[in-house]
Amino acid sequence: MKHSFIDRYSALDSPLHLLDARTKLVGFTVLIAAVLWIPPGKPFAFFAYFFLTAILMGISQIPLTYIAARTLVILPFVLLAGLALPWKTGAGFALFSTLLLRSSLCLLILILLTNTTRFVELLRGLRRMGCPAILVMNLGFLYRYLFVLTEEVMRMRQARDCRRVGRARAAAEMKLLGSMLGTLLLRSFERAERMYQAMLSRGSCGEFPILAPRRFTWRDPAFLAGLGFFIWVAGYLN
Amino acid sequence: MADYAVRITRLNYSYPDGTKALEGIDLDVRAGERVALVGPSGAGKSTLLLHLNGVLSGAGTVRILGQAIEGGDLREIRKQVGMVFQDPNDQLFCPTVFEDVAFGPLNLEIPSEEIPKRVEKVLRDVGLEQSVRLRSSHHLSLGERKRAALAAVLVMEPSILALDEPTSNLDPRNRRHLIEVVGGLPATLLLATHDLEMALSLCPRLVVMDRGKIWADGNTRSLLSDAHLMEDHGLEVPLSLRTLGNVRGD
Repeated sequence: MKHSFIDRYSALDSPLHLLDARTKLVGFTVLIAAVLWIPPGKPFAFFAYFFLTAILMGISQIPLTYIAARTLVILPFVLLAGLALPWKTGAGFALFSTLLLRSSLCLLILILLTNTTRFVELLRGLRRMGCPAILVMNLGFLYRYLFVLTEEVMRMRQARDCRRVGRARAAAEMKLLGSMLGTLLLRSFERAERMYQAMLSRGSCGEFPILAPRRFTWRDPAFLAGLGFFIWVAGYLN
Repeated sequence: MADYAVRITRLNYSYPDGTKALEGIDLDVRAGERVALVGPSGAGKSTLLLHLNGVLSGAGTVRILGQAIEGGDLREIRKQVGMVFQDPNDQLFCPTVFEDVAFGPLNLEIPSEEIPKRVEKVLRDVGLEQSVRLRSSHHLSLGERKRAALAAVLVMEPSILALDEPTSNLDPRNRRHLIEVVGGLPATLLLATHDLEMALSLCPRLVVMDRGKIWADGNTRSLLSDAHLMEDHGLEVPLSLRTLGNVRGD
């Protein structure tokens, strides 16, 4: 089964990939906050941030087709949110375009973050920035086992399809879905138990120890300073 | 080193729902010995293996290299007993193969400069290419995952190796490769398996378990040739022994 990994291009070797995960977590979070801070009706600011994001995308060497395909994922959600806007008053279009620009920019920045940093590095970054160990560990497990669970769901669906002909009624379908989810939950509990046993067997005390973490270099403060300067200039010009 | 690698005396274990999993198990395994645990599903083989490093603890005594698990140093015991689980997905929980293999040594506080060397050596030993080290285990085939799970345990350099169904779901080539790797290991081996041909090729001693008890303990070839014993405990005489024509009680 083919899986879609959020950190698919994280093994590239661009200058952005070489930065410490903490630098990127802080830098890109600040960038997202700055984008959310742009008031409606300021096209120059949006243009400036799109320009910066485009430069970062170029530096990252992530294929544009991949970025474009990922960005399109957000469109249905934006369109759905657009339904709630006050279209009759005339402000609808301005608000909708702001919503579309903001969400696209934020998504582009997140794609940059996750594809220039291996997921494990992100977790380490979070941990070293003081995020609780249990939360980081659960995020790691979620990412690791999401694919295993997806495969399990696929197998259950195949087994269901092999034993039925045609479509069932909605009520029967819902009942079946409920029992499949219940089975999945029980299997997940059992797997969690076995994983815990496997962790204990290898001397675990509940922490994920880190081997040779990436260190800060001159690039990290330079990147943060550059980003900070850009945000300040963009804010000043607006 | 103690004379007995494993000494189990009157071990009883029941699951929380009251199901008896092990009843009065007595088993001694000498250092360097290779023992296959065979029996039908639900016989208690995996449960018994989980007692070897204190993950489960029942009534009775389990001694590892002379040290009782009850009240003993579990960290030291888990360093000595390497446990390979049946489903490698349960064992490979880290984002990359390298981290999974390094997980045990890091927990054992082995000097960090030594760990990458150990990881690379053990990956080579189990026949995994160095290119897999930075890959996620989702990217590996089942055979590779099984080998990675074995590597994750071998890297801790255990004196006792407990393998739970190591060849289940493997294709013939991967199965043969895994048998070769395990066959070349110097550790004391306890192998819970349904693969009787593997038991025959790797272990001179066989223990037949069923319904939580040990029913037979002896020479592998001799026990596997006993058609009545095999039949009574949901097993079959391996094909290789049938073709040789030395089956008793047929």
